[in-house]
Amino acid sequence: MKHLLSIAAALAVLAACEREDREFRPSPVATEGEASITLSSISPGVVGLGTPRDIGKAYEENAYHLSEGKRLFNWFNCKGCHANGGGGSGPALMDDSWIYGGEFQNIAQTIREGRPNGMPSFRGKIPDEQIMQIAAYVRSMERQVHQDAAPSRDDDLMPRPSEHRLPTSPPVAGGTVPPSGQAPQ
Amino acid sequence: MSETVLRSPSKEALDTDVKDGELPARLAATWGTAAGLIGALSTVDHKIIGRRYIITGFFFLFLGGLAAVAIRLQLARPDNTLIGPDLYDQIFTMHGTTMMFLFGVPIGEAMAVYLVPLMVGTRNIAFPRLNAFSYYVYLFGGLMIWIAFALNIGPDNGWFSYVPLAGPEFSPGKRADFWAQMVTFTEVSALAVAVEIIITVLKLRAPGMTLDRIPLFVWAMFVNAFLIIFAMPAVMLGSTMLILDRLLDTHFFNQAEGGDPLLWQHLFWFFGHPEVYIIFLPGTAFVSAIVATFARRPVFGYSAVVLSLIATGFLSFGLWVHHMFTTGLPQLGATFFTASSMMIAIPSGIQIFCWIATLWDGKPVYRTPLLFVLGFFFIFVAGGLSGIMLASVPIDTQVHDTYFVVAHFHYVLIGGAVFPLIGAIYYWFPKFTGRMLREGLGRWHFWLALIGFNIAFFPMHISGLRGMPRRVYTYPAEMGWDALNLVSTLGATLFVASFLVFLYNVVVSSRGGEIAGDNPWDASTLEWATTSPPPPHNFDHVPFVTSRELLWAERQTLPVVAGLAVDKREVLVTTTTQALPDLKESSPDPTIWPLISAIVVTAIFIGSIFTPWAVAWGAPVASFVIIAWFWPKSTEENV
Ligand code: HEM
Ligand SMILES: [Cu+2]
Repeated sequence: MKHLLSIAAALAVLAACEREDREFRPSPVATEGEASITLSSISPGVVGLGTPRDIGKAYEENAYHLSEGKRLFNWFNCKGCHANGGGGSGPALMDDSWIYGGEFQNIAQTIREGRPNGMPSFRGKIPDEQIMQIAAYVRSMERQVHQDAAPSRDDDLMPRPSEHRLPTSPPVAGGTVPPSGQAPQ
Repeated sequence: MSETVLRSPSKEALDTDVKDGELPARLAATWGTAAGLIGALSTVDHKIIGRRYIITGFFFLFLGGLAAVAIRLQLARPDNTLIGPDLYDQIFTMHGTTMMFLFGVPIGEAMAVYLVPLMVGTRNIAFPRLNAFSYYVYLFGGLMIWIAFALNIGPDNGWFSYVPLAGPEFSPGKRADFWAQMVTFTEVSALAVAVEIIITVLKLRAPGMTLDRIPLFVWAMFVNAFLIIFAMPAVMLGSTMLILDRLLDTHFFNQAEGGDPLLWQHLFWFFGHPEVYIIFLPGTAFVSAIVATFARRPVFGYSAVVLSLIATGFLSFGLWVHHMFTTGLPQLGATFFTASSMMIAIPSGIQIFCWIATLWDGKPVYRTPLLFVLGFFFIFVAGGLSGIMLASVPIDTQVHDTYFVVAHFHYVLIGGAVFPLIGAIYYWFPKFTGRMLREGLGRWHFWLALIGFNIAFFPMHISGLRGMPRRVYTYPAEMGWDALNLVSTLGATLFVASFLVFLYNVVVSSRGGEIAGDNPWDASTLEWATTSPPPPHNFDHVPFVTSRELLWAERQTLPVVAGLAVDKREVLVTTTTQALPDLKESSPDPTIWPLISAIVVTAIFIGSIFTPWAVAWGAPVASFVIIAWFWPKSTEENV
């Protein structure tokens, strides 16, 4: 019994730490070295990436990173093409289908390296740390993160239920080609 | 000795049927607390619960004090890296929150729970099971927020959690939710105690204790209970809206969807300003009691003091906006709230003059409790003066959110609440434990505290005027604030050290202190008419009150009332104004259900931080335990 209690307590501590940690001063883009996201061919479909799945965990389970990601999503104007996740000239991000894979590192890679048909590369423009935050936030739109950590509504007009109220669903490979991709080349 | 016998038709044993020598033992058996853990957890004795309340309040005072030490260590040097910004935010928020919600409000009520029933001459507080419940809810709420802090989920938005900072967009995670639920816990328990105090004072006074014979202590606690009842719902409403905004995407504070972030400030300060008086009025209660006893005469201007208390109560609801001057107000509004803020100095001033007149005309005996009261005069008046300065809009606009404000409210809070409280502990410790605290250590405590306090907080006025903002985790050396801050830190260390002297005094005196006797200070109020510590039933016979200073007026024998049952818990209900004997009513027996209800409520409150379904699923369970708690037993009432 005692053991159980202490294990439960330890788990609670860990869970809380992951969710509540805040790191106010991530390293700037100038100090960037090796990419922590493995690069691979830029082609549709889920490609087996070399990186362990775990890198995303630290971001996806942390409320502060997710909410920063949400802020950066607006500040870097991801909204401009993907709207509030519903899609525009870029594909929708809040549904469960993904052209280039819906795992954390797929999304981080998409942001960092860009994709054909209009997704720009943000390498060297957004610090890696913040790319991860944005990727984690995108995953929360797509209902892949734990509800306790996912962001709540903004102090703004609310176009849809906030991320922490959406039920989860696993990602599906495929997805629709963005309108920009359908334009004659 | 005049004796009034209350006859009743029933056949059960009355105290008139029992031989005098047997009576205390039989009453104690009826009113006692069962042995063992379950017995201890089921108790409804207001003295046992009051003692737990007081100890818990001091426990949180010490935790809050440790947080203050951490704050001061971090600020001792410029550019200090001892504590990072994230942890610092949590620490100062925990400090303020603990001091205001877990120490300031509960400790006043705790003293009332212990002392008011004794002072009005009854055998238990009204609604004793609710009393047990309120204690457990308070304890669980306090533990919850400190455990959360230990798990890195400590609130970090300041003790008043302003939106939008504390709202869903800028406070990710669960920190602000824990804060909001901590408020709910303390409010539930504070409201419960307020109801008990009001009913105890209105209906359970000993016969003969007409309104104008109620001790000033009891008056202050009575007015305070009304303040709690009217002020607390505002913040409970606010904190519920906050958690709804955060958890369920409501828009109470969302400007874009028609909400209003300033609404939070209004709700908070409509509670928050009276809150300051909720912390201060128990201080006045202690001061009135101590001044009368040590000046050896009744407090000068009884009616003036009572009317000032009531006036303070009313006025305290009319000036909350002075906390919001910098949010921009129409000119007329600013003028009104400046005027009302300055006006409240009048009733406080009247009380202080009455106490000074009492000491002037009396033959003061300078023992430790009175020393702390003198310290209170000095510090509280200084805090009041800076308060008058802050009430003026142009000055407030300059020093808002600087260390000037931090200095001001510590002068009023520590001066107005902590000094009288410590005096009160020196004063009533003999009643609580049967032993005296050591006088010599008490004097050390007093002087260290007085000097330490001023060294710690006076320089903050100056650093504030030089522009040091509050709630900064560090400051650059070029600002020229370092010497002032270092002095503050040294003073704070001295102040904290004085409390170690106190702690030591309490520990050694509770074992080996001088035996006190019933009335060591030769005081006049009823709690001193019984043994120290009092028996479970408080008084062998309910006293009959013939004068405001009963124990001074009736030095030979105390007139008493007889005719209450011996073998069942029975209290005497009297009329509201005249305190004529009216009914004999049974007082509830001990039961474990208040504890179980508190556990269920705790589960619901904590669960609702994570999912609104906790409320839906918890409600039936809560109803079930409350039904069990109130399950009627057929006891015969005699009227
Ligand atoms: C050992 C004694 C104490 C020391 C050294 C101390 C020190 C401080 C300091 C330095 C701050 C400012 C923190 C900041 O702005 O970063 C502060 C804030 C505060 N203190 Fe104290 N304090 C003490 C006792 C008390 C007591 C007894 C109370 C109330 C009964 C109290 C109530 C508050 C409140 C409400 C705040 C505001 C917190 C906030 O900004 O949210 N303090 N204290
Ligand atoms: Cu105020």
